Amino acid sequence: MTVSRRDALKKLAAVPALIEVGSSRLQAGDPRLQAGDPTLVALAEVVLPAESDRKAALAAFAAWIANYKEGADTDHGYGVTRVRATGPSPARTYPAQIAALDAAARGAGAASFAAAPLDRRRAIVEAAVADAKIERLPARPTGGHIATDLMGHYFNSSAANDLCYRAAINRDACRGLAGSENPPGPRTSDFGPRR
Amino acid sequence: MIFESDVCIIGGGVSAAMLAEKLSELKPGLAVTIVEAGSRIFDVENRARYRERSLEYGENAWPGDFIDDQAGAGVISRTMAVGGSALHWGGVTNRFSEEDLTLKSRYGLAVDWPIAWADLERHYCEAERRLGVSGEPGPLPEDRRSEPYPMAPMPLSYNLRVLKEWADKSGIPFQGTPQAKNTRPYGGRAACMRCNTCEICPTGARYSPDFTYKDLLAAGKITLHDQTLVRRLVKSPNGRRIESAQAVSRARNGEAVEYRAKTFVLASGYAWSPHLLLLSEAANSSGLVGRYMNGHAFIGAQIELDAKLYPGMNEQHSLISRKYFRCAPGGPFVRHDLRVWESSAGRDPRLKDAAGTLLLGDALLADWRARTARGAARVRAYYDVHPSVESALTLDPARKNRWGDPLPSIRHVLDEATVARKPSTREHILAVFNQLAKANDGRVLNVNEGGYLDHPAGGCRMGTDPKTSVCDSYGRTHDHENLFVVGSPTLPTAGCTNGTLTFVAVTLRSAARIADP
Repeated sequence: MTVSRRDALKKLAAVPALIEVGSSRLQAGDPRLQAGDPTLVALAEVVLPAESDRKAALAAFAAWIANYKEGADTDHGYGVTRVRATGPSPARTYPAQIAALDAAARGAGAASFAAAPLDRRRAIVEAAVADAKIERLPARPTGGHIATDLMGHYFNSSAANDLCYRAAINRDACRGLAGSENPPGPRTSDFGPRR
Repeated sequence: MIFESDVCIIGGGVSAAMLAEKLSELKPGLAVTIVEAGSRIFDVENRARYRERSLEYGENAWPGDFIDDQAGAGVISRTMAVGGSALHWGGVTNRFSEEDLTLKSRYGLAVDWPIAWADLERHYCEAERRLGVSGEPGPLPEDRRSEPYPMAPMPLSYNLRVLKEWADKSGIPFQGTPQAKNTRPYGGRAACMRCNTCEICPTGARYSPDFTYKDLLAAGKITLHDQTLVRRLVKSPNGRRIESAQAVSRARNGEAVEYRAKTFVLASGYAWSPHLLLLSEAANSSGLVGRYMNGHAFIGAQIELDAKLYPGMNEQHSLISRKYFRCAPGGPFVRHDLRVWESSAGRDPRLKDAAGTLLLGDALLADWRARTARGAARVRAYYDVHPSVESALTLDPARKNRWGDPLPSIRHVLDEATVARKPSTREHILAVFNQLAKANDGRVLNVNEGGYLDHPAGGCRMGTDPKTSVCDSYGRTHDHENLFVVGSPTLPTAGCTNGTLTFVAVTLRSAARIADP
């Protein structure tokens, strides 16, 4: 009997999202994926724009990770004939990546990544992305590296689109037809609720 | 189990929905059974959540809308559910033009359809009423209509207004595309909320056939058997009639089900209708079942222009020009539609700049803003291509479903005339793109050509001669007096614009004959 990759992923999804990474255990709700975690906050200062609402961006990223479902069928819309399932949670790779950021910071004389000066953190992230051989911003988190996953999650969001165009386009919101003919108003804040 | 009805419709997509609705009006009390291999996904209350999951995680916005082992090679949609591909269609409802029906007599190409334009136009109006189409009359006299659109057009977003001003400068007339989307409450469904995700419309403003099925079921006008795969049609001893359809219930572990009916209608789309006929060795005295598989080819481009745009306002809506639906007899043959969308494709945020430097935080944002300071439009032309008889759906003995039935394999082959004019067609379309670009100090950033035929159709083409066609203009097969094929498989050629409205119009035209065979 053969087992397709899709079936295998579905079976994998039945296993609790709990793995051993060295001495650390990761599952949904892991403290290091809380939006206020110092390492994540320090990472956001490096990879997200100063104009963005980093706190909101981190909260949205943490919520995304917490609500990720392994083995879910993905879109197979018009022109896409292969049915695929979502893979393992990207967060499975994060503990080791965060540990490596901390180790690199300690190697550079800081107590931790969060305690390192901004320039040093930037250099550490640049080296980590290079080591991970990541060339493109992911459309969604993939586990390639938490730094680029956080960037991909934010920069592909409706909030980042508004930031880029300096306008409240609200791409992913249901807005009604009234006023469609007018240019969007000025941007107000990141990550407002979807209507 | 054995079920009997007056009309047994095999396939539960948009054509079947429209046909069943009209049959129930033409002949109240007619016993109509619809048999669909896929499941019914009627939980409209969950669509907002499905939309969220689709946006956030790329999850299937129509959970369960496919069958694992029911997939063919060259079939471009996996969707197999009550509602079919029209569950997640874009709702674009362009009409073909009179030229599509008269290619042979006007240009000496392909074949003429056995339908007069005025007849089809009447059924276009009916299809627009039933689907609920919003639109505006076109600027060209050739596109005159006998009835107004049922609803006012979708307002052009700010972006499309800017793009229309830009496009109009080129001298090519544009209008908003007509769409099966409500601009006011219509058909028991809400007005569009501009959610920008028409493939999963959370409000039901974009038509999908599940609404029709639910209404018909609630009124007791149809019987719907979903999760039931028809495997064979059984002919009468003399071969002139279809006596039954042999099926298996997927919901009941493959239990055998037999359908008996006075009339059978195949409404399973371009892939599964000819597939069932080939499996059944039915309707094929011409040898043309599964032949003349068609669709239209396409070329697209990204054009940068001197305008401030805000991508994300309503990416699903577009402009269309029908200017090139016509070409003068005697001149070079090239027919295509021309569409314009707001677009950010190719200008998305990027991790590395052109020199390969990693961009983080503010640097990435600055790079993104610099690359999007000017606006961009996506343009595309669907162009008219014609199939060869070798353009075929065949049974693939190497790939079978769990019941042991070979699955379909589609290989599109264009006729010699189409292949010969391809370079000049391409040259013409690129010249049109450049004309658009130059109209506002723009430039073509990139060009892409489709590797497949879109809006596929054919496989049971209609015609008057039983030697060169599978069915007549009403879809009645030449070989079996009580077997009809409706919708996309019957089209001899696929035009140069979206096909769904035409599939529905030809189906509605067949309804009276099916009601009173």
